[in-house]
Amino acid sequence: MTDNQTENLTENNVVAEQTATPQNDIATADKVMKKRDVDAVSKKQTVGKVFVQIGLYAFLGIMAIIVLFPFYWMLISSVKTVSEYNRTVPTLWPETFRWDTYTAAFSADGLNIGQLFLNTCIVGIVSTILSLIITVLSAYAFARLEFKGKNILFAALLATMMIPGELFTITNYITVSDLGWLNTYTVLIVPFLVSVFYIYLLRQNFMQIPNELYLAAKVDGSSDLKYLWKVMIPLAAPTLISITILKMMGSWNSYIWPNLVANDTAHTLITAGLRGHFATENGIPDFPAQMAAVVLVTIPLFLVFLFFRKYIMRGVSRSGIKG
Amino acid sequence: MAKTTTKNQWKAWLYLLPALVILAVFTIWPIINTVRMSMLKNYNGLAVVGGGSFEFGFYNFKHVIEYDGFTNALGNTLLLCVITVPISTMLALLIAVALNSIKFIRRAMQTIFFLPYVTNSIAIGMVFMAMFYQIGGSATNAPDSVGIINNIIEAFGGTAINWVNMGSSKFANMTVLVIYIVWNALPFKILVLLGGLQGVNKQYYDAAKIDGTSRFRTFWRITVPLLSPMIAYVVITGFIGGFKEYSSIVGIFGATMGPTGTDATNNMNTMVGYIYDSLKENNQGGASAAALILFAIIFVVTMINMYVSKKKVHY
Amino acid sequence: MKKKFGAIVLAGMMACVSLGGMVGCGGDKGKVKDFVMPDDGFDMEKTVEIKFYHTMGQSKQAILKRHIAEFNKLYPNIKINIDRSFGKYEDVRDAIITEINANEQPNLAYCYPDHVAMYNEAKVVLPLNDFLPDGDFKDVTVTPVGKEAEPIGYSKAQKEDFFEAYYNEGFKYGNGKTMYTLPLAKSTEVIYYNKTFFDENNLTVPTTWDEMEILCKKIKEGDDTTAALGASGTTPLGYDSEGNWFITMCEQYGSKYTSATGKKYLFNNETNKKFVSRFKGWYDKGYLVTQATNGNAYTSSLFTDQKIYMCIGSSAGASYQMPDRVTVNGQSVRKFEVGIAPIPQVNPDNPKAISQGPSICIFKDSDPQKVLASWLFAKFMTTNLDFQAEFSFDSGYAPVIKTVTENKIYKDGIDAADGYDNLVQLSIKTCMDNAESYFTSPAFVGSSRARDEVGNLMAVVFSGTKTIDQAFKSAVSTCEHFAG
Repeated sequence: MTDNQTENLTENNVVAEQTATPQNDIATADKVMKKRDVDAVSKKQTVGKVFVQIGLYAFLGIMAIIVLFPFYWMLISSVKTVSEYNRTVPTLWPETFRWDTYTAAFSADGLNIGQLFLNTCIVGIVSTILSLIITVLSAYAFARLEFKGKNILFAALLATMMIPGELFTITNYITVSDLGWLNTYTVLIVPFLVSVFYIYLLRQNFMQIPNELYLAAKVDGSSDLKYLWKVMIPLAAPTLISITILKMMGSWNSYIWPNLVANDTAHTLITAGLRGHFATENGIPDFPAQMAAVVLVTIPLFLVFLFFRKYIMRGVSRSGIKG
Repeated sequence: MAKTTTKNQWKAWLYLLPALVILAVFTIWPIINTVRMSMLKNYNGLAVVGGGSFEFGFYNFKHVIEYDGFTNALGNTLLLCVITVPISTMLALLIAVALNSIKFIRRAMQTIFFLPYVTNSIAIGMVFMAMFYQIGGSATNAPDSVGIINNIIEAFGGTAINWVNMGSSKFANMTVLVIYIVWNALPFKILVLLGGLQGVNKQYYDAAKIDGTSRFRTFWRITVPLLSPMIAYVVITGFIGGFKEYSSIVGIFGATMGPTGTDATNNMNTMVGYIYDSLKENNQGGASAAALILFAIIFVVTMINMYVSKKKVHY
Repeated sequence: MKKKFGAIVLAGMMACVSLGGMVGCGGDKGKVKDFVMPDDGFDMEKTVEIKFYHTMGQSKQAILKRHIAEFNKLYPNIKINIDRSFGKYEDVRDAIITEINANEQPNLAYCYPDHVAMYNEAKVVLPLNDFLPDGDFKDVTVTPVGKEAEPIGYSKAQKEDFFEAYYNEGFKYGNGKTMYTLPLAKSTEVIYYNKTFFDENNLTVPTTWDEMEILCKKIKEGDDTTAALGASGTTPLGYDSEGNWFITMCEQYGSKYTSATGKKYLFNNETNKKFVSRFKGWYDKGYLVTQATNGNAYTSSLFTDQKIYMCIGSSAGASYQMPDRVTVNGQSVRKFEVGIAPIPQVNPDNPKAISQGPSICIFKDSDPQKVLASWLFAKFMTTNLDFQAEFSFDSGYAPVIKTVTENKIYKDGIDAADGYDNLVQLSIKTCMDNAESYFTSPAFVGSSRARDEVGNLMAVVFSGTKTIDQAFKSAVSTCEHFAG
């Protein structure tokens, strides 16, 4: 029941000419359809539908193969021997499997993969949570609150995305070094907490949520924070999930900055640790080993993510707005 | 009324405070520093440590603009942007809509389109090597391997095309780059658009179905307007990202930034590639100047985008 | 009211920004202090920790750790941190450049000469002249645990034990009078050839470029008496690095390439155009394939696939030149035997081959004890025979000192050298036997750019998209634009 309420409210604002009061329309239209019940029409429709469905699956199937191919390549490359990998004519399936890179990662010698995972989890989870909070608050301010200079400020924030970040590295390094942040979790978490990309994305999503909901909440006397928590966040859940994935992946895969600012054993992150572990110095990199490192790092994360996504989505569909 | 506005003002800034503080330290300050470096002739941080000093002026900007390698990079960047952003947006939109309108194996399909996120960029580069590169052969010998794509073309009776090897045409190079960039950009765009679609109410579609609206009409009249904020987002950030294109060229051509036989005056280098070239010699002054020129261009384009989207986007 | 509020926020932001500003540029960044020898020399009591940046993978790190344990028996108070391992030399360089800006650089690092040229702009690299036998510290001694007092610097014997070219590389900066780097392990370019094929056809490995041309013709086209020796679809010669080739030819002809002082880029001259034009002829006749003309893939894979019969590449890359195993009569054997020989010359009486591979540089530090500790460790790595030998066989780089030939580990390794499974040993042997011919080119900011550009220039000429004159001119102008 509460679901319906939200949906109704959502619709009101958008494309008003299309359907004024959808619920009634649907009800009446349903009846009309049932009454007509013309065989020929429905047959034609079914045939058309089947074709459309086939087309859809074919299209998605082809795109899926294209999108999956590099992933497949990463997996098979990670178990190829260096000489097979360097073959002039690449093989689509490894002739000989090589597991030493995988076993080496877990061997006791040198690399403490548990510690690396722990460090990465701490940094990944803390920075994702903080980043989400900051993003939600900022996006809310830009989407819902009125203040002077909003548009200029927003444009200015967008502008900051337009300069290649590589130029910032040295300046930021000097800053964190002067702040005494080198080799701390802080330096791994704080500098990249704010992403204008995400704020922008969420702002777009928030703007889709009709103002009427907000005004209704105001009349009810709900505070902004309560409204944000009870209405906006559940409605924007899919986007928030996207941001969570992107942020998690980002902190999981980040290499250059962590390797620069936090490189003692207590703070080394998994990607930096594995890459250093598989370094070679003959000028020809051991790509299979590097691929193995990537697989080791990302697959567990991916599985965890799949699990959470299902869980979160279920939670989202159950909850609605109360009050 | 005035009272609430003021209260809101305070509140808005309070909400924005954490973001603004962090941005001020880690983004705004580096940008100010970039401006400073761009005004100092051949500025280089190491030389500062060594006790050097630099002439103040517009030398870096002049030096960058007058270089024919830079004009080449600028042209490539603009061209790539204009071609790839519409293609990748359209394709992502189609895939997202298709993903949203199937029932059978829908979840599995959505999962598949997440996988590219966990694919390393080196792996994508490697795949392109295998797909497009001709390996072996010489001035007189046919290559040992013409690449997977050419294998497919030949299987259908076509003739192999020189995509990216020595002597390949700029058109062929561009085609490969466009494919690569679109491919690379797709997952993010699908994710965003799918997220947007899942937020869209099912009832619109039910209503449209009952009205007997054609799929095509439904797509243009319902899906696109409802998704317009997300589409605007994808296009605007796509342009911003597109102007910063760099890794795709390295992925395909390696450090030479173009097929064998080209140099800085006629290769596929981009603006950010040029900035990296300057940083390689630790010429932060030149790199900063180039970055600010790039900034100015992206800024203008984004303003135009924003202006257009303001008129078209339904919130 | 509104305006006031905006003003406050704006002021707040400005404060944040300017605070960031002060943090960034304020404080005493200071020039890094020059090293002054403490009155009592190295302090054996005080514990010091030094950081060493490198690109060693796990097996090399294991070797290093064992030798650090040995080193710590002599100097128990020196703790060596080798946690920072990078994927590439360039990654080491980029990290150090950033760190120098905040005075956070390590104490020791793997380096290539052009990296050191950059660090030198910040004047942070320790000049080593005082540690040489006739240097200022010749009377300073140190007493390792359980040993007699010895000079802290190199003894005369130690200095002379270095292969000269490797030792001289340390001086290739600016006016050439100051030593900034120590050689750690080195490689050169060699020809890997298909010995099975050469033996079958009674061919000898060419020692000059003229002989090479005749041999290529024989393999590719045949001569008056015989048909082409090579199978159809094969190419006689592969060359991995066009850049190295150009630089080596300059050295062999004695023509100008670059200079660390004055005008930097001198390679646009008639001699150089002539040899490029000659090799273009080879390329057109199908004698030759290079990395760039092979779709940016190393030619070593063509060699192991028997698509080329000779491959000129790094001596440190021997493990990539080994053909796959095949089963013949139930036994697993390599497809063919590989031979290794020095590269062809213009003048065989005055051979020249390029020298590459990691060196070590030491950074200045406010604590002189750290600098001394770093020096002692660098000296240990460059003079310890066991370490030099073991490291060499694991990495494929050759040792840098002559007496290593008397070391048991080294001898055992070299005795096993063959053209099959022990190709790495054979490559190191070849590299050691020809150490007298090695040279390095001057190092300066922009010297790696020169290498890239001359390499690309060759590829441009081969492709025929530009005339030789245009290609040379364009390469010089690119170099000068970025580092003029």
